[in-house]
Amino acid sequence: MAVLEVEGLRVVRDGVLAVDDVSFQLAAESDTALVGPNGAGKSSLVGAILGLIPRQAGEVRILGHRLGPAGQLPAQVRAQLAFLPQALPLQGRLPLTVAEFVGFGWDPPGPRLPWSGGGARRSAVRSALAKTGCGPLAGRLLSELSGGQLKRVLLAFCVVRPRRLLVLDEAQAGLDAPSTEQFHSLLFDLRRSEGWTVLQVSHDLDMVRRSCDQVLCLNRQLRCSGRPELALSRAQLERLYDPADVPGPPGRRAPQGSPRIR
Amino acid sequence: MMEMSQFATVIGQPFMQRALIGGLLTGSLGGLLGSFAVLRQLSFFSDALGHSALLGISLGILLGLNPTLVLIPFAVLFALLVNLLVQRSQLPTDALLNIVYSTSLAFAVVALSLVTTYKGGIQQLLFGDILGISWLDLALIAVLLVAAVAYLLVSLRAQVLVTLHADLAGAFGVGSQWHRIAFILLLAVVVAVSIKAVGVLLISAFVVIPACASRLVSRRFGTYLVLSSVIGGGCAVLGLLGSGLTNLPSGPCVVIVQFFGFLLALGVSLWRRERGRAVLA
Repeated sequence: MAVLEVEGLRVVRDGVLAVDDVSFQLAAESDTALVGPNGAGKSSLVGAILGLIPRQAGEVRILGHRLGPAGQLPAQVRAQLAFLPQALPLQGRLPLTVAEFVGFGWDPPGPRLPWSGGGARRSAVRSALAKTGCGPLAGRLLSELSGGQLKRVLLAFCVVRPRRLLVLDEAQAGLDAPSTEQFHSLLFDLRRSEGWTVLQVSHDLDMVRRSCDQVLCLNRQLRCSGRPELALSRAQLERLYDPADVPGPPGRRAPQGSPRIR
Repeated sequence: MMEMSQFATVIGQPFMQRALIGGLLTGSLGGLLGSFAVLRQLSFFSDALGHSALLGISLGILLGLNPTLVLIPFAVLFALLVNLLVQRSQLPTDALLNIVYSTSLAFAVVALSLVTTYKGGIQQLLFGDILGISWLDLALIAVLLVAAVAYLLVSLRAQVLVTLHADLAGAFGVGSQWHRIAFILLLAVVVAVSIKAVGVLLISAFVVIPACASRLVSRRFGTYLVLSSVIGGGCAVLGLLGSGLTNLPSGPCVVIVQFFGFLLALGVSLWRRERGRAVLA
């Protein structure tokens, strides 16, 4: 059974058609990259899959369960789903320790008392911090972490409970080269050991070539998909990133949207 | 010795005992809700709601109704209206709040100037009358405190994740929109109920100062919440005792004590930082 099935998905955002008739499937334990220029609808696609923004048409099924029109999923399916945002812009505002934060990743959705779970919760947090190399950070505040440390803590937040599908939004954003390398090797190991299915938005085509086994090239519609060596051929990339093809006003495209081709 | 007996006399008065209990409950409630309100940048919301509440009170006086009964629906309507405006408008939230609260204040002053019978009580409306608090008010505040503690405890994960990152919260099964509105409504009702004791001008201090003081010294989220409530309740009791002994107005006395609490917390956080540097060096 596919972990994620998307069929004829159509998303309109602020009156603009952002995602048009997109269909694909993610097989269990696969690692798929979502690439495309800025403004191509990657964030809208991810938002619609997670149930954060409404869709105009199409179906999304996660672990065989249909995502409701307002993003509803059964709690036990939702608990197997994880999302890693680009950054936590407000991390400095909360006096929240790493261990407290990761504990909230263990709690299932819905109302519950903060001390329920007790020992099982504490040991799950300890083990998640150990798996991601965050053990020494347990008592630190989120505001005291470097960019690379915060990304590892976010991975701990995902790994603290068994998950099936992990969605990452530009995980390497804001990281220097060694931290990016370290993050991806940790993600690669965790994906293997935890049996995660991964969908990641990425601009780093070298990383995609090395570690992903499927690529989805999005420019409002799905332009191509398949194994990285085929989907990321020079001809396909030129089609995908063709400025004439990109929807929306040209001034909104930032330079990091262009692919890095070696 | 004279002071001790004076102290005992003050404490012995039933109105003073009600005031102390009321201060403790209102202060703790303000501190607890404030700890989330400050993180979500709702400090100005509580200030604007406090000022606008004067309109609710004047309407109550004009209609000859109990101000507390008018204030709660007024605050709820205000919160829903502001929320709608913020969602639908492109204007910044602080500017919108400013428009709403200055307009409400203008209407309130016009309405009050029409009522000749109430002119003497304007100071009580502005600065509150914690000494005139009734057992009914106390029961209402106590019920609200229990409800607020219960809601925040069972939804703690949702509150933290919504404050941290709305999309992260949504992806992990938290209905961000729902919790945001529920919290704003709770804050509105708490402000409305506390206004009688604290007054429209100083109510936001009850929400903002204890939370900020606690934020400066807390290194865990749980500590932050508890300390914020304790600072809120403790400062209110100390301020009221001071007010009872000196015959100075009660609301301002509490806020001055809160401010000293804030300075103390600031001192502790600076001292800790210096010590941290010394250890590293």
